[in-house]
Amino acid sequence: MQHQPGMAETKTKYSEGELIEMLRQRSESAFNYLYDNYSSALYTIIFNIVKEEEQAADVLQEVFLKIWKQIGNYDSSKGRLFTWMLNVARNAAIDILRSKDFKNQQRNQELKENVYEAGGSVELKIDSIGLKKFVTNLRPEQRQLIELSYFQGFTQEEISKMLDIPLGTVKTRIRAGLIQLRALIDNNG
Amino acid sequence: MDSKEFIESGAIEAYVLGLASPEEMAEVDRLRVQDPAINEAILDFELKLESGIMANTMPVPAFVKEDLKQKLRPEFKKEEGRVVQMPLRPVNKAWAWVAAASLVLLLGSAVFNYYLYDKLNKKDDSYASLSKEMNAIRTQNQLANAKIEEMHNGMTMMSDPAVAKVNMPGMGTHLTNKAMVLWDSRTKNVYLMPMDLPQAPKGKQYQLWAMVDGKPVDAGMMENCTVLCNMKNIPSAQAFAITLEKQGGSPAPDLTQLYVMGKTTP
Repeated sequence: MQHQPGMAETKTKYSEGELIEMLRQRSESAFNYLYDNYSSALYTIIFNIVKEEEQAADVLQEVFLKIWKQIGNYDSSKGRLFTWMLNVARNAAIDILRSKDFKNQQRNQELKENVYEAGGSVELKIDSIGLKKFVTNLRPEQRQLIELSYFQGFTQEEISKMLDIPLGTVKTRIRAGLIQLRALIDNNG
Repeated sequence: MDSKEFIESGAIEAYVLGLASPEEMAEVDRLRVQDPAINEAILDFELKLESGIMANTMPVPAFVKEDLKQKLRPEFKKEEGRVVQMPLRPVNKAWAWVAAASLVLLLGSAVFNYYLYDKLNKKDDSYASLSKEMNAIRTQNQLANAKIEEMHNGMTMMSDPAVAKVNMPGMGTHLTNKAMVLWDSRTKNVYLMPMDLPQAPKGKQYQLWAMVDGKPVDAGMMENCTVLCNMKNIPSAQAFAITLEKQGGSPAPDLTQLYVMGKTTP
């Protein structure tokens, strides 16, 4: 695990196995460690999706409660703890995005931005952080498909219908986009 | 599709990011167990993804953690090796009695200790005075013993026919004074019994003289003796006399200070 230096408030360093075991035993210090080390990464991915800080904070809280409740279901043979948490966070954020209340709120927000700010500044911030930073550098047609599938949670079938392109093409472009995304992430480190 | 092709197909990224269909997910789950290279590639992407996201994060508002801790507080288990606040209630009543009794015992013990300490101090004081007193008695005893020994020696010599007894009556203004010289004819040792001489004034000392052929010869100083004083060896003398001289004695007697005098031959 690589963490930003000085990011963790908790002094003890746990291995992933220890951390999971302690979380299952309802350890407060393990929870503190988990939160201190991962909250900002999860908050960022949520913000990448919901694009609104107050909403992202609510989702983050919900995500940590889910992690706390569902840590017993986490299966380390199917991925790292971070990967699991990242997917819990993404799914929770997409659920909010799809909720009726949020859609209405978002519409009002967009209207306000269009009228008063002409938009842009929020998108700029979102694009510079987390996974979006890499996605922004993809070719436009790949970027559009990753945006729709990963950040907006549309299925390939939905995208195929929305964009009126064959399902096979959607699949191919998404895969190509992912390969490209990986290259961008690899170069970063 | 071999493992290299599979790894480069984007299927792993779709799997890790949750973009694969349930069927595709199940297939990768199966393949990663069979093919270590695929498992390796998955872990590698997971790590890169994690550090890539970690490198570009935004700070979380502080209230989120506080809210969460508030909600989860009842679920946290107490952990070993941590400082746990002692519960204020309930306190077992029996312990309150034990505590009260302990306090009473402690106070009692303190008072008793003070009493013993005071007593010990007093004992120390009386021990010191007793020990001082005993030393004084011991000294007195030594003095008395010395005196007894001197008297015994004096009596032995008095009864010895070989020891000449020279009575020295008071002279001039010292008529009430007297002393005696015991003179051993065998050893020629001279002993003085002061008998009745006033305490010599400070800085002064009695000196015994032997009159040998009309001339006074120093026969020794009367030191701290009360009964019998060892004086000098005098081979022959016609008389003995005592004068009061300066401390340490004089080469010649001050005849104005003649106290007693007696002839050796009756």
